[in-house]
Amino acid sequence: MKTMFHEYKNLKLKIMSKKTMLTILAVAAISFTAMSQKLVTSKSNIKFHSHTAAEDIDANNTKAVGTIDTKTGEVVYSVPMQAFEFEKALMQKHYNSPKFLDTKQFPKAKLTGKITNLSKIDFSKDGTYNVTVKGEMDMHGVKNPIEEQATITVKDGKVSTNTKFKIVLADYKVAFEKGKPSTNIAKEVEVTVNAEYITKS
Amino acid sequence: MNTTTKKRLKIIALLALTGIVIAAGVIIYLFNMPHRDVQAAAADYSINAEEIVTEYLKDALVANEKYLDAEGESKILAVNGVISEITEDYNGDKVVLLKSNNMQAGVSCTFTPETNVQTANLIVGDQVIIKGVIRSGASYDEDLEMYEHVIMEKSSIQ
Repeated sequence: MKTMFHEYKNLKLKIMSKKTMLTILAVAAISFTAMSQKLVTSKSNIKFHSHTAAEDIDANNTKAVGTIDTKTGEVVYSVPMQAFEFEKALMQKHYNSPKFLDTKQFPKAKLTGKITNLSKIDFSKDGTYNVTVKGEMDMHGVKNPIEEQATITVKDGKVSTNTKFKIVLADYKVAFEKGKPSTNIAKEVEVTVNAEYITKS
Repeated sequence: MNTTTKKRLKIIALLALTGIVIAAGVIIYLFNMPHRDVQAAAADYSINAEEIVTEYLKDALVANEKYLDAEGESKILAVNGVISEITEDYNGDKVVLLKSNNMQAGVSCTFTPETNVQTANLIVGDQVIIKGVIRSGASYDEDLEMYEHVIMEKSSIQ
């Protein structure tokens, strides 16, 4: 009788330890998912603005895809370059052409970076956070280091970002040698990015 | 000055004037050249969503050579596929994703303020043919850690 009771107790212990194991596994799995939590945007607008005495040129692109990893601070943007739309058809043709951004050869631009002051941001709390993103931009087949300021806004659990920075076209080997475009396009172009994020499902 | 010289000068002046008018006309035309009307144009390729995604995932360079244009006037496609998602982009234009469950990436089609209304009665699971201009192909991006869809704009239902 005693041994039977002993065995029963043993069995109970075994079952319990199995349960504990499962709980530990479940908790680990949940925290692992939380660790790699990514925010995704396909609702964004990227604007190029060029200002010269001759004229102002704007182009907009709403087709970029981007992610922010809230645990590591990694920021990624992939931009389909042919989706930039200009007011004038001729400008759009110039922009796409091999003389300028050569979008057939280089259909996507990519920004990869890291938020350097990630600890300042509480993604679960409403607020506006000023951040610095340090990384690299790959455009027209040329990679350059970047360090830009951006704003992350958390409102009602929704995350959006906003940034405005300048790029020097010559840094990306984009330059018109002569003719009208060389005088009408600024050497430095202002880029504005607005994006609304959702949690990756 | 005799009459023949006068006549010659007149003709030269007239020719110069005609030249200037033509040149000005060409410049004005080029400057105000309208965008291509994708909806009015015929499709260059009729293709299944799965086919074009497979082409891109197999060899993006070959696919870009086939579908993209150096001046951005890339191929107009009529893509046949099953709707997996209907969303809106930053401008509020409708975005219909053609993607079956077995596909790793789909074809994302953005409509225009004029054609948005065509999506009103569409639901997930519908099979449709959407015409639009291709902007970029499908690929796996290891930084995003996800597949990017084929992107089409200026879309309309066929």
